[in-house]
Order: sequence, then structure tokens, then C-alpha cells
Amino acid sequence: MPALNSIYGLFLDPDAAERGMNALRAAGVAPENILVMSAQPFDDYSFTHAGRKTVMPWLATLGGLVGGTCGFLLARYTQVAYPSITGGMPLVSPWPTAIVTYELTMFGAVMTTVITLLITARLGRRRPAPYDPEISNGKILIGALDPSDAERADLERRLLSAGAERVKST
Amino acid sequence: MPAKTPEQINEDLLRPLGGASARYLTALAFFAGIVIAAFCAFGWQVYAGIGVAGIRRPVFWGFYITNFVFWIGLSHAGTLISAILRLANATWRRPVTRCAEVITVFALSIGATFPVIHLGKPWLAFWLFPYPSERGLWPNIRSPLLWDFFAINTYLLGSVTFLLLPMIPDMALIRDRATGLRKKIYSVAALGWRGTPKQWHRLESAMQIMAIAVIPVAVSVHSIVSWDFAMAPVPMWHSTIFAPYFVAGAIFSGIAALIIAMALLRKFLHLEEYLLRVHFENLGKLLLVMSLLWFYFVFAERLTAWYGNEPSEMTVFWVTQTGSYSPLFWLMVFCNFVVPFPILAIKKLRTITGTVIASIGVVIGMWLERFLIIVPSLSHKYLPYSWGTYRPTWVELTITAGTFAAMAMLYMLFAKTVPIISIWELKAKEHPTSDHAPALAQTAEEGAD
Amino acid sequence: MAHQWGMVIDLDRCTGCEACVVACHAENNISTVGEDQAARGRAKHWIRVERYYEGEFPDVKTKFMPVLCQQCDAAPCEPVCPTFASYHTIEGLNGQVYNRCIGTRYCANACPYNVRFFNFYNPVWDKPLNLQLNPDVSVREVGVMEKCTFCVQRIKASEIQASSEKRDVKDGEIQPACVQSCPTKAMVFGDLSDPQSEVSRLARSNRATKLLGELGTLPKVTYLQRDSWHAGEDS
Repeated sequence: MPALNSIYGLFLDPDAAERGMNALRAAGVAPENILVMSAQPFDDYSFTHAGRKTVMPWLATLGGLVGGTCGFLLARYTQVAYPSITGGMPLVSPWPTAIVTYELTMFGAVMTTVITLLITARLGRRRPAPYDPEISNGKILIGALDPSDAERADLERRLLSAGAERVKST
Repeated sequence: MPAKTPEQINEDLLRPLGGASARYLTALAFFAGIVIAAFCAFGWQVYAGIGVAGIRRPVFWGFYITNFVFWIGLSHAGTLISAILRLANATWRRPVTRCAEVITVFALSIGATFPVIHLGKPWLAFWLFPYPSERGLWPNIRSPLLWDFFAINTYLLGSVTFLLLPMIPDMALIRDRATGLRKKIYSVAALGWRGTPKQWHRLESAMQIMAIAVIPVAVSVHSIVSWDFAMAPVPMWHSTIFAPYFVAGAIFSGIAALIIAMALLRKFLHLEEYLLRVHFENLGKLLLVMSLLWFYFVFAERLTAWYGNEPSEMTVFWVTQTGSYSPLFWLMVFCNFVVPFPILAIKKLRTITGTVIASIGVVIGMWLERFLIIVPSLSHKYLPYSWGTYRPTWVELTITAGTFAAMAMLYMLFAKTVPIISIWELKAKEHPTSDHAPALAQTAEEGAD
Repeated sequence: MAHQWGMVIDLDRCTGCEACVVACHAENNISTVGEDQAARGRAKHWIRVERYYEGEFPDVKTKFMPVLCQQCDAAPCEPVCPTFASYHTIEGLNGQVYNRCIGTRYCANACPYNVRFFNFYNPVWDKPLNLQLNPDVSVREVGVMEKCTFCVQRIKASEIQASSEKRDVKDGEIQPACVQSCPTKAMVFGDLSDPQSEVSRLARSNRATKLLGELGTLPKVTYLQRDSWHAGEDS
């Protein structure tokens, strides 16, 4: 499993993690090969700023539109499918149709958000990925994926000098 | 409070997940016993016929629908409050959100069973679902009960995911520490969470969207529950005030339930350093606002009925104001306003004990409110010849007790399996916006060049 | 144009004898529930005679008012049923399909006249009443709502008879059990879509009122009475 080849440092302090990140970039590690993991979001530090662009709100809107359309069609169809005698009132009653449309709009939006989260955040996948249980003790993992043997020593030195508590190689 | 290290937070909040004490097991068995009794009562009702309940002509809805409205209302504790606080970026919400959202999920699940429990033929409840059947008949979408079906399901989906999504990082935390079977279970629950920036960012985006979506859904749910009544030409039901009145009442009872739950968690799980007095004080202020709002709604509703002076409405008006239901009515006013208002308005009394007393009053008062909306109107509908009174039987009482026990039982089980305070969100508070972060970002970019 | 079945009840003729109630029970297989259950409000009377008293003792006048399903044109019971168990027929009746009913009891709450009855238990008939069940009317099981049908089985029988003889249903040919059994002929049943029918003629009387007409339910039962409010304009 080549994907599990990695070298990483565990940092206690986010400022040190920031320095470790810079060190990896300075060493010329490609951005897609840089590993970052933490037990908190650390939104205020730039080492967490990779992959921030997301279309999730738009997908949620789209999901809502699809849900709403389904809701409208369902409400309409079920009223037409069993035409009741309405005494001159519209067969497709506007208020209930609007209510069902609204509820299914929200249903669609919520559903899409959850599915988008699961897919884009790669949740629920069984493929092994680099990880260290130390992260949940508050350590911040900064490392490089798939380094060549020549790079390893250099990266280890750079991570340690940035303030890594430990450097692990897998 | 001296800042806690992440290790301390982990230890404090994961401690309750350990083994069960004898006291815990006794309490659990006690509640489970009541729940089993409720199931037996329901089984008896299915076997013998719905007549073993106290409902009658003309009061066709009694305790069951009261419980339905009460529990759906209580479910507005969590998701709604948590979503509002999340959007408002109120940092003090962090230890509160999860224990609130759990109330929502369980209260909603309990409430949603009542439309089935109260049916004459509960085994045909699936006929309410819109699915293509061999009968060629779809459910009648004009019926407010169908609106309930859609609204409750949407709200259930929303609140369950709203609870589960922020739980994923905490599941990963437990996974990393557990061994054996527990590790396997929590590994599945953690969905392979690693804590990459992308995962964090997606999770926060999703929570933001969910918070925006779930607020209108919560409002719509209780509006629709109110329309179950307001759509029928029954005295004092057929009113435009019902939807906002119900929503306000729902949030009112929801906050009260949350305060009670928090106080119990604080005591039994020793979370004194997490659930602080400021939380009870802030929620107490919210409860005070809702108490005033509730009083305002009752006043507006009664005033309009009074000046309308419509004979059938006035019958129901007087029967609740001075007639046979008046003891319950004034007890409700006492519980919902007379008790909580001074306690919550006077800063000295707005302590943890004070807010809990006020909240217990509100929960009782709001249950009474649901009862007083349903039963007096039905028992005094138009033609005096067919008026009637309602008295619950042991079946209804057992099932009602069973729902409260079910809530306690589910809450206890949840608190044993999942940290009741969101650990990662609590830790995130330790790193508020640091002043030097932009500068650091600057150097990071320079370093990358 | 389909028939629109309607009824006129002359309160000035009603003696409150309750023959209609008994006839209705016999015709429509309405089970009795016993003393205890009746006291708990579970009695089923598709038609009932409401008694109201006017004046102070000893100068008391009793007024009788038979109340049955008003077969409203804008019936509150119909839109609230989630399973189309209560629905509107083309002949203007408020139909109740027992097989579709799952017992939400919403229709009964919405009905302002309280003329819907719920089967709280499976029905039983004390011997020998079990031998006199009407084969044209289905019996209702536990958990099902039931109510006055205007004796739809009699309506259907007459319509089938008429169509086999290639003619229209004659006015007065159909008599629901209550109408048939009324000794003072206080009740008249017929087709409201036919302006010449007896029921249409009586419904135009200036003694005519609708029960709770102000609710806008458009009932098809009309009550005739010399109302004290209309005393001056009596015919």
C-alpha cells in the first residue's frame, strides 16, 4: 500500500504546526502530498486552509429545488389520482400543496447536505489512510505523503526544527 | 474557570462513558420498568380495543394527542435553540448544544408515536404513508395529519443529522482510546474520521447549512401541529393565533426541558466545571422572555374571544375561566407565569436551583396548556345536548408515564454511549481568534514562495 | 344531474317519541353498548332526539330536535380524513368507507353536530338481536368511525329498481328508516335537485332553518319550526 508511506511530525502547539507546514512547503513537498490532521478545526491558522472551496451551499439549494419539485408533483399527483368531489373548489388544493412542497424542499436540502458532506469529506470509506491516534490527544499532525527515501532525512530534520514533538515515519 | 487542557477535557467528558454504577442501573431499571408497563398497556389497548382508553364522544382526543403536542413541543428545545445560537455565534452555547439536540431527537421520536398509539386501528398506521398501494388510493393530502407526516419526518431527519454530524469527531476520539468490541463499534460510528482540514471545513459548512435549514423546519412543524386543531371548526380552535402561539409555547417548554436536563447532567455526571451558572442564567433569561411571550399570547387569545362574544366560543371560554376546567387553567397560569416570572426576573433568584424550579413549573404548565386547548373545546362543541366530560383511564395514564420514563431512559443510555458535551467544540473554544493569526498566515505565504 | 338527497324535519310535528332512533338501530345494524359504556359516552345513535327546555318550572315547554348527519355540502369531516374514509359522493352524501377508516377520529372532532360515532370495541348483539341483522348493511369493527348514511342501502335499492324498470326514482319512493317510522310524518326525504319534490318545496318554507347554518357547512337537512324569533312572520 504505497499510499500509507508517510513521514509526519506531531505538534502540540498550533504555532509550531504552522512553522512545520511552512518547512514542508519550503522543502518543496507538493501541496496535495501534505498531510494535516488535528482534533480541532484551527480555522485561524493557515495550515488548515487547504481545500476550502466548496459548492455545498449550492448543492443544498439544488437538492432543495429537486425535493420541492418532487413534493409538488407528489402532492399534485395524489390529488389528481383520486379526484374527490370538491364542490367547485380547486381539485389541487393550493395550501396543502404548498405545505408539502415546502417540507420536501427542506428534506431535499438536508439530505443533499448530508450526502455531500459524506462524499466530499470522504467519510465512511473503508480504504486505509494515514492516521495517528495521538491526534485525539490534541496533537497536530503535519507531514508528507509518499516521500522518497532521500527526502525523509531532510523532512525529519525540518519538522523537528520547526518544533515537532516527535517525528514518525511509516 | 482556569483553562482546562485538552487532556483534562477528554478525561472529564469521557469519564461518564465508563462502567455503570449500581445507582445508574437501578434508575435505568426503574425507568425501563415503566416503559415496559406502557408497552403492556398499549398491547392491552390493541387487544381489547381503543375503548380501554378514556376517550369518548365528543372528546375523541384526550391524553394521547395532549402528549403528542407536548412532546413535539418539547422537541423544540434542542435543534432550534442550538441552531439559533450556532448562527448567532454565541460561544457559550458549546457545552449546551448536544444535550439540547438529544432532547429534540428523543422527544420527537416519542411524540411521533402518539399518532399511531391513538389510532383505532394502529396496525393500519402505514395507510398514512404516501406510497403506491394495491388499493389504488393515496392518502388525502388535504388532511392536516398528512402535513404532520411530512413535517415530522423532515424535522426528524434534520434533527437527527444535526445531532449526529458533530458527533463524528467525538466518535473518532473514543475510537482512538477504546479497545476490543467498543473500538469496533466506535470505529464504525466515526466513519473513518481523521480530522483533516478538509473534513473539518466540510463539517462546519454542513452544520452551517443545517442550522439555516432546521430553523424554518422547526417553526413549520409546530405550526402544522397547531393546524391539526385550527383547521377544524371547533370553538376556540379555529383561530389564526394558533400557529405562532404553539411555536412560542413549544420553545418555552423546550428551554425548560433543557434546563432540567442540564441540571441533572451537571449533578450526576459531575460536570460542574462545564455547565456553569452562566449557562443556566442565559437560558433562564430566554425562558423569562418566552414566559412573557406565552402570557402575551394567552392574553391576546382570550381577549379576542371575549370581545368576539361568539356564544359557542364563550361557552368554552367560561368553562376554562370559571367552570369545571378552571382549576387546571389557573394552575397552568400559576406554573407558566406566576412561578417562573419572579424567579427569572429577579437576578438573585436566577440561580441554578431557581431556574430548575421555574422550568419544572413550565413543563407542568405547558402540558396542562396542551390539555386545556384540546379537551374543553371538544367537550363543549356547539349543541349542548352532546356535551361531555373526559376522564383518562389507567391505560392512558400508564402510557403517559411511560413516555416520561422513556425520555429518561433514552437520555441515560445516550449519556453512557456518547459524550454529552461536544468535546471538540469545547476544545475549539480554547483557541479563539488569535490576534497574530493573520500575521502568521502572511509569513506562511512568504515561506511558501 | 345526479340526485342530491336531502331531508326536511318539521320540529312542530315532532313528539319526541324516538321511534326514528329505534328504527335506525334496527335498520343499520347499530350495536348497543350497554349501560356502563353508554354512561361513558360510547353509545351510538345515528339519529338522536335532543331535548331542550324553555321557560321556568312549572311553565316549561319541551322542545324536541332529531339530529342526524346533516350530509353537509361543505362538510368539515371530509378534508381532514387522511385516508379518504370520509368522502363526498356524487349524490351529495357524506360517505364513510369503513374499510378505509383507521380511526384517527379527526372527522368526529371536526364535525360541529357530533353525529359521528366511533366503535370503541368490537360490536356485540345480545341474543336474539343477533338474528335480526340487516344483510344489506355491513357491521363495523373496532376502531372505525360510523354515522348516518341516509340509509344508502335503501337509496341504492330504489335506484336499481327504478333503472331496471327504465324510469326515474319517484318522489317519496325512498324512505330512510327514520322517515318511514315517524308516526307524525315529521320527516320528509327526497331529491333536492328536483324543485318539484316535496322535500324541495318544504325546504323553501319560511319556517325553514338550518342547524348551525352560520358555520357555512351547507347542511342538506332542513328544520322547520315556528321560531319565537320569527313569530311575527309565521305562515
